[in-house]
Amino acid sequence: MKEILKTAAATLAAFVLYSLLGRVDPSLLLILNTFSLVVIFFSMLKGELFGVVLGALCGLLQDSFSMGVFGVAGLSKTLLGFTAGYVSRRMNVVPFFRNFIFIFILATGELAVWAFLYALVFSKRLITGNALLFFQPLATAVLGSVIFTLARRLKAPQS
Amino acid sequence: MPFSLRERKNVVVLAGLVFFNLLLISIQVPLGSEHTLFKKIIFSVFSPIQRVVVSAGAAVSGTWSGFFRLRGVRVENQKLKKNIFFLRQENMLLLDRLKFLQGDKMIQDNLAAIRKTVLSARVIGVDASNYYKSIVINRGGVDGVKANMAVCDKHGNLVGRVIEPVALKEAKVQLITDEDAGVSVISGTDKVVGVLSGDSRGNCRIKYVVTTSPGGQEGEDLFTTGYDKLFPPGIRVGKITLINIDGSFFKTILVRPFFNYGDLDQVAVLKEHFEDLF
Repeated sequence: MKEILKTAAATLAAFVLYSLLGRVDPSLLLILNTFSLVVIFFSMLKGELFGVVLGALCGLLQDSFSMGVFGVAGLSKTLLGFTAGYVSRRMNVVPFFRNFIFIFILATGELAVWAFLYALVFSKRLITGNALLFFQPLATAVLGSVIFTLARRLKAPQS
Repeated sequence: MPFSLRERKNVVVLAGLVFFNLLLISIQVPLGSEHTLFKKIIFSVFSPIQRVVVSAGAAVSGTWSGFFRLRGVRVENQKLKKNIFFLRQENMLLLDRLKFLQGDKMIQDNLAAIRKTVLSARVIGVDASNYYKSIVINRGGVDGVKANMAVCDKHGNLVGRVIEPVALKEAKVQLITDEDAGVSVISGTDKVVGVLSGDSRGNCRIKYVVTTSPGGQEGEDLFTTGYDKLFPPGIRVGKITLINIDGSFFKTILVRPFFNYGDLDQVAVLKEHFEDLF
């Protein structure tokens, strides 16, 4: 029950951040996918099972507020959540630089899967927003590694 | 190394969710523009949260402008007063002209009817995948909003139309800059008729104007025709920026929409067509 509540709270946090960013400047949503950030962060903390469920929820939520096909982002984030949780349990990705590279690879992979599914379903060219979309993995990696490092440092004195 | 029970469970959950998402995609694709009940439920549950978040943000910025940015508020107030003055003058001139066609009472009744058809709304969200495709507004079924109602910006320029899902207090609006949008338009000078749709990059193009069709000039304004029975006729849509004939059957006509995406904070939902009133 506690894990379900944590999943719901994490999903809500991603959604609130997405709503705020969208109102500040819509192009920020191309540069930073808040749902991906939350999925990666909590998957690394809680493991692949938590990550895969959170990924599915966040992906479907992202799809429901877009005009895309329902399930495209759901699928890409499901895979993202599982991969993030699975690999982080088996490799040491805690050091900042390694964390950055890990998140960058994950975000690039997720974007590639999403772009592939988008092209497959719509048979159209991907809209990159003047190439802003390609900065998404970098922005996610920078923010994700900073947040993860801060979270670890905040947790360290308590433990 | 054989999988442990825990790892096997994780893989089963992954496979189940992947299958679920593939099933959703498979169901969705043949439906075209229709939305599944699942998608409508998620939109209805989460759109009120979006409205609360954006309202909270607006309240904070309102407090800032109300208490700290007083000088800016004063300047804006002066500008608005000036605008109201000129609008009142225009209104009086137009009413004066209308009296030649209709009696006073009929004019007042029709104007009151027009006011009832226009619903003011605020933009509370944008499309997560491409912000030129759709927006979310803070009016829904409870306010009388239904699918296919036209939406204009605060200057009266066409923005798009309401599409499903329509929640109780929120609704999604497909912008004219979406590739899948379609608006029947006519040019102001040469009366060239075509179908306008977006390129999902912030601009539009007119389709289905054959190369042998005369007329059409760069710089012409475009208006809705009303032929599609979706958008009332006479609404400003955009300006032709380029006409190119490149050997294909149809002309390439690029259009810059009049509505400014960066300025899209408040919109008007046209609940009824009012062209029969005057």
